[in-house]
This record gives sequence, structure tokens and C-alpha cells, in this order.
Amino acid sequence: MTKEIKISAALLVVGLGIISGLYLNKKNQTTPASSAEVVNDTSDKKIIIPDFSDIADIKEVKEYINRLQNIYKEGKSTLPLDDSELDSKGKIAQNIALESKKFLSDSKDSSGKPLHSDIMRVLPAISSMLSISAKQECKDGSCYIVEKYNFATNTTSRAVVNVDKKSIISIKKYPNMQPDISNNLTKIAKAIALKSPEIIKELGHTPTPNELSMANVRTSLKESPCEDKNHLCVAPTFANHQKEMALWAIVDLTSLKLAAAKWAGLGKTYTPACIDERTLQNRYIMKNFCQKDTTLNKDGWSFIYHLTGSDGLEIRDILYKGKKVAKSLKIVDWHVAYKGYEADKLDTSNPSIVEGRQIEFVKGDNNEYTFGYNDAMGCPMFSTSVVLAFNGPQIKPIIQDSKEVGFSITQDFRNPKWPMACNYRYQNRFDFYKDGSFRVVGINLGRGCSNKAIYRPVMRLDIDSPSNKENFSIYQNNSWQSWSKESMYQSTSQEELYSGKYLYKIASSDSEGYYIEPNRGQFKDNSRGDHERVFVSKYKESEGDEDLLTLGSCCKLKEDGVESYINGESIDSTNLVIWYVPKMQNDDREGHEYCWSDSAIDKNGNPTVKLYPCIVGPKFTPISKAK
Amino acid sequence: MKKLIPIIAVISILAAASYFLLFNTTPTPKEAKNRFKILSFTKTRSCSSLPKFLYKAGIKRPIIDLSQDHYTGIAFYYGIEFKNVLHKKSWEKFEHLGTYTIDKNGDIYLTPNPFISIKPTTFNLQKAIYKMDSSSGELQRWLEIDDIKPTSTNPYGLISLTYNCDDKTIFASAIDKSNYKGSKGRIYHINPKDKSYEVVIKNFDALTLRIIKTTGQKLLLAGNALDNSLYAFELKNNIISQTPHKILSLPNPQLHIRKIKVIGNNKLKLEAIKFSYSLVAATQKKTRFIYTAKFNPKSNSWSIKENK
Repeated sequence: MTKEIKISAALLVVGLGIISGLYLNKKNQTTPASSAEVVNDTSDKKIIIPDFSDIADIKEVKEYINRLQNIYKEGKSTLPLDDSELDSKGKIAQNIALESKKFLSDSKDSSGKPLHSDIMRVLPAISSMLSISAKQECKDGSCYIVEKYNFATNTTSRAVVNVDKKSIISIKKYPNMQPDISNNLTKIAKAIALKSPEIIKELGHTPTPNELSMANVRTSLKESPCEDKNHLCVAPTFANHQKEMALWAIVDLTSLKLAAAKWAGLGKTYTPACIDERTLQNRYIMKNFCQKDTTLNKDGWSFIYHLTGSDGLEIRDILYKGKKVAKSLKIVDWHVAYKGYEADKLDTSNPSIVEGRQIEFVKGDNNEYTFGYNDAMGCPMFSTSVVLAFNGPQIKPIIQDSKEVGFSITQDFRNPKWPMACNYRYQNRFDFYKDGSFRVVGINLGRGCSNKAIYRPVMRLDIDSPSNKENFSIYQNNSWQSWSKESMYQSTSQEELYSGKYLYKIASSDSEGYYIEPNRGQFKDNSRGDHERVFVSKYKESEGDEDLLTLGSCCKLKEDGVESYINGESIDSTNLVIWYVPKMQNDDREGHEYCWSDSAIDKNGNPTVKLYPCIVGPKFTPISKAK
Repeated sequence: MKKLIPIIAVISILAAASYFLLFNTTPTPKEAKNRFKILSFTKTRSCSSLPKFLYKAGIKRPIIDLSQDHYTGIAFYYGIEFKNVLHKKSWEKFEHLGTYTIDKNGDIYLTPNPFISIKPTTFNLQKAIYKMDSSSGELQRWLEIDDIKPTSTNPYGLISLTYNCDDKTIFASAIDKSNYKGSKGRIYHINPKDKSYEVVIKNFDALTLRIIKTTGQKLLLAGNALDNSLYAFELKNNIISQTPHKILSLPNPQLHIRKIKVIGNNKLKLEAIKFSYSLVAATQKKTRFIYTAKFNPKSNSWSIKENK
């Protein structure tokens, strides 16, 4: 037997073995699934959501931004195609289009600020793209199509240029339409996908361009796969034939970063065109934060956290250096109320619904009324929330005077169309300091329906102690007054504070417990204060230990919904729950914006959002550490 | 070169085997034989009658509106270009309604829907089927199923129903108890005569139900709340088989079939929605996606087209 025959036989045996193994594996995977398993098939493949980040920090993106900045400096606003993407007539066509005021008419905003625009394609005119009259003029092949995309307005402009006559035959604008992307942007999209740390980590190596398929560029994407449908996004794919898996990346070319990625089987009949950022976000959040608890041990703190169906991010079983701190901290609701006038003309016979919410109307004095809704925050699926979790909880260090003093955990909740009117964005943040103090923070990022909004986040703070018996006190008349029954207190924001800081105290003994420091704007976060109402109730499991549905009325400004839990029961040395309800009013006056957001154009000519957050919430300081 | 011929031949054999075994998606004759086969079907006249109170009011071919866009509960559009509306305030007392079916007598049975805002009453409302009396037009809480338990992590309960003209019974589906990990939905078989009911299918979340008859079968079609497919359960002597047969999938994996209608020979109109067991928070202007699914009995295959 010759050497070649031996090699052939070995090859045959090994090859058939491998193929048989793969075939059996495939057969197992394609066995008809039950309906429940079908769901898992489409949702349980790993999803990768990058942390909040600015534009991708890679060479190609930087070069692209430099090119943009250079043309802006020259007073221009449209990035032309490289010569390498143009034939000789194409170059002429592009130059003619770029000299047309009409073609460039949407390239700057009203203040003259450039709006990021790229020429995407210059190609010989195709008959189907031409009007009847243009077809006649272009039948000798003298016409070119020049396509421009405006990233800020999500508009495509198309010019038909007669190169021989050096004239423009027609210009059409297509709002909310996105063109096929240029080779240059294709390279940038590939670079973002190839060099993203999340992708490298997933693949287990730094991928080469050969591993990447860009088959699914704009032509097959019916609409942007990004959360923001006005962003230009593409979906390059890494196929791993050995694993029969592909890693699909969604690259946001407006924000110039990786938006999301997902592993899926190669045999799928659908493409990334059908998988959008929101869907991936939803599955990622459900799987990682709604379906399971995550434990965190850091800086002496230990707790579990998870996202709830309607009570936002909940932190549970909190210990500091092994000692009990709190059983549960969460923000259960945001009451949103607007003021209206001419209540006598109000017709409430039919329900009013704005952006998916039913509006409640409450008539008041002086022919005024309030209207609004209760916003529950929570998981994006299987929930009763209307403001949905976006990305997972983010854990970041707290830096004060250049020193790390603790860490915060923040969860973002957004309406899909934020920052458009009547859409909302909230954040739940919990600050944990190395000295054992902590702060529960509610953040409103606008934008709401009008400039007369009153926001009230309802914080449920189930403080714990080793004995499980706490007392609540308020500082009045230079001494601590203990509450013996379930009660409510409306702060004037003018009270004298113990040690200049603390108004409330929850303690199980003289030395065990916390002073509570209401926010009066002292936390250096531009807050205008809490203007809080505080309720203290005896712990009852049915009163919010599990998910609470929206509490009370959005719009009865004298009530917060917690009143039903305040029944005058004794709270002397018992397990207590503090309900802390700050109140803030938004402001849209220029230079004074608060609880507000505005669409704007950034220095690169791209759409961005200006944020004017209002930040509220009390800080708890261990009695032993209070100064 | 001749020496390499055996190696090249082996590589060729392996390549061919790989293609046929691993990458070829054409079903084998055995697979084709095993695939559930439905037979030809066509649009047939329903046994449902026009509610008598509408007939008396001179309303002959109304559109039943459960969209909740303009009216809570139920409304009837009628007349030229359907410009007239019949809606009573009393029809709002059970809040938002989602689907309906009409029996031979003209009684309308309706399922609830946790539409937008959750109120203290919302969960209890999801446990019942509501009936609009054919003669009086009064809406009442007709049948309560105690087993149904909506929660803040799945506010849905009864979600769809369809009338079986042959034995005058109702199939109704509920999707409470389901969670992200899987389906806990049930299909109930209800006898309206004595309001008795039994669970006939477990662990299937039917977002919509429709009975159709083919040339040799009776099928309960069901759109699944958890995927983008349409399933069929065989009904033999009005007894339902336990196996859901997937008969088609919409091209968009994010959509779920919410309404099924036979519109012609081997042709279905499918209305699909995005559905995530949460409230209508993701406000999108286009909330329904309409598809026409055409069945080819010869190849036992479907062509599906979105109507825009």
C-alpha cells in the first residue's frame, strides 16, 4: 500500500467520523420543538450589550471624525466620496452636486451649524430611478445619480446630474429614508465591529476582515435596527462554521459605535434585518437581570439586585461589613402631573391616551385641574411597566476630590421615543460609600409633555437592623422626636437640621441606625431639593415587599398613594418601612432647564440629546459615622 | 500528480457528503412524509348570527370595533362608509376588550385586555369571559375562571376565543402564568349551556384561535404569543388532539399572529402584532402588520406576503 493510499484512507475515516458527528448534532438541533422551546430557540442565544459609551475609540473612527472636522473648518458640511469610489464622470457629477445650493440646502441648521452629511453613492443613472423626462435626457448615458445622507435629519437626497451638460436635472429629498452606505462607511462599520472589545471577547480572538460578512447592509434592512430608528445602522456578521454559529453585530453609524450583538445559529431563516437593538436589549435584560438575582460584593457592601416587573431596580438584602442595612430599596413609581386651566371646559367622557398611557384628570380649585399618569418602571417584557429598562445596571466608582469614595449602581429606564415630547427617561441610582453611608437617588431626564410638570418618585426604603426593631424620629425643636404611630410628614425644606444635615433618624438603639439627610441641593448635582413628604409604616409583606402596582393617583397633589398604608398602627420598636416621596417641578426656561432634555447637534454635526437632569433622594449616614 | 488522485478523490467524497448531510436543507422524503399535511380549504359561511338587538335597530353589517382607540369596551360602526357608531356607556364597565366570537343565536362572547394602565380592578377583569346578550345588547360578566391569575409580571389572562358551530361550544385561551422561561398557557373547552369547562391543551400560549375546515379535516388554528408561527390542532369528532403542528411562520420573528381569517381558496389573512406580555408601552404608530398567507396543497407549503 502506497503512502498516498494510506493518507487517503486515514482522511476518509477521520472525515466521515467528523461529518457523522456534525450530522447527528444537526439532527438533534432540528428535531421539532415544543412551542415553549421555540421561544428559547429565538431568545436564549447569547446577547451582548456594550456599556454606555461615547463613540468607538478606534483609529478609523478618529480619522473619519478628523475628516469631518476638517471640512467643517472649511465652511463645508458634506463629506464627499473618495476618488477611489468614483469613475471620472462620477467625480464630475459629485462636484456639480456639491456646488448646488439646493442639493446642500439641508446641510446646516438654522444657526449655520453643519449637520453631518455624507455622499453615499455616485453611480450612472439607472432608468428606474429617473422620471420620464429625465429618462429622455439621460438615454445617451450622460447622467449620474448622486446620493447624500443627512445623519442629523435622517434624510436622503438624490440628485440626477447630466455630466455632459454639467447641470442638475432634478433633486429629490426623502425624509426618514436611508441609502446604501459608501465603501468608506462600510470600512468604518467593519472596523467598529472588528475592533470592539465586546466582539473580540466573544470571539476569543481578534478577528480578521475575512471573518466578516457585510451582506446585510442597507439594501436588506427595511428599517434601522437601532433603538433610535433615525440612526443609520448596519449589521455585519461573523460566521463560525465550525460551531454553526454566527455573531451578528449592530453598528450604529450615527453614533459611531457598536449598539448590540447576538449569537445565533447559522441555519436561521431570518437575518439581522429582523433583529433590532430593542429586541436584543429586551432579551438581554430579561435573561440577565429580570430572571435572576445578581450578587455584588464591593467596598464592604454586599447585596443582590434585580429588575422588577414594575418597581424599577431593586437592591435587596443589603449588608455592610456583614451587618444588616436594608431589606429592600427601590423606587416603585413616578407620579407625573401637569397643571391645566379651565377645568369647566374639560371633557372626560372618553378616555384620553397619550403615547400609550391613559391620562387621569383631577379637578381642583380656581377652575384648575391636574392631569397626568403614573409611570411604572421595570422589565421590558412580562411586566406592567410603561417606561422600560434600557441596558443593564451600570456599576461605577464615586469619585470625590479625585478620590474613590464608593460606588454607584444605576439603571436607566426610557420610553422608546425619548426625548420626544410625552416620552420619559428615569434613572434609579443607589450610591454606596466606603464609610457605610448610602444614598437612594431618583433621576428624571425629561422630557414630558409640557413645562408645567410635577414629578414625584415614590421611594420604598425597607431599612433593616440586627434586631429588626427600629424607631423613626424627626428633628424638631432641637431634639429628636420619636414617632409612635404610622404617620406622614410634609417637609417645608426650611427645617433646622441636626448637625446642619439631618432631619430624620431610623435607629434600633442610640448607636445603631442611620441619620437621614434630605437633599437640599447640597450634593453638588444642581438639584433644587427634595421638597419631600415622608411616610413611615409598619412592615407588611403585602405593602410592597413584592412588586407593587402603581400607587394611588398621579394627580392628586396632596396624596402620594402611600396614605392607604398609614393607618395609625403603632410603630414603636418594630420593623419599619420609610416611604420617601420627593417632589420636583420641571423648567424649560433657557439657562434654567431642569427635569428637561432637548435634541441638539453635537460638534460632529450628529444628533445628540442635551440633558438637564433633576436628581433627588436622601442620604443615610450611620449614626456612628455622623459628624 | 497521479499519486495524489486518491487523496483528491477522498476530499471530493467528503466535500460532497458534507454538503448533502450538513448544508442541504431540502427535506428528505421521510421528513416530507412526516410533516403535518393540511388539505385545501376555502372561505365558508359562518354559523354566527347578527345580534338581534342590532337587527332590530336596523344595523345589518356592522364592523365590531375592539381597537379601544375611540371607545372603551365595544362599539359598532355601521351605515354608509361606516360613519355611524353605536356605543353605550354601560359597555365600558368591564374596561378594555380584546377579541370576540358570535354564536348561532347572535350572542357575542368577548375576552378582556389589559390595555394600557393597570387599575386595582384590572387583574380581576382578566379572569372572565363577557357576553353581550343578542336580544338586549346588555354586556355581562358571563363566565369566571378562577384558575386564571394575572400578576404584575404577566398582566394577561383570557385572551382569545372562538365558537365551534358544530357542537355549539367555545374554545378560549388564557396566557397567565407564562413567563420568560416558557409557556404555561391553556386552551379551555367551554360548554355555554351549563358553563362547564375543562382545560384541553396545556403549555401553549394561544394569542388567537380560529376553527377552519379543510377538505378532510377540522382544525383549531392558533397564533402563538411566544413565537411568530401559526399552529394547528386537529379536531376529530370535536375532540382536540394534543399535538400542536407548526404550519407556517411569519418572516419577521418579532411578530405574533393576533387574528386569523380565511379570505379565499387556501388563503388566510393574518394580523400580527409585537407582543411582550407587557402593556402597550412601545408606542408605535403601526401596531398591526397584515399578511396574506397562501397555501399550496400540492407542495404542502405556504407563500406569505406582507400587505402594505
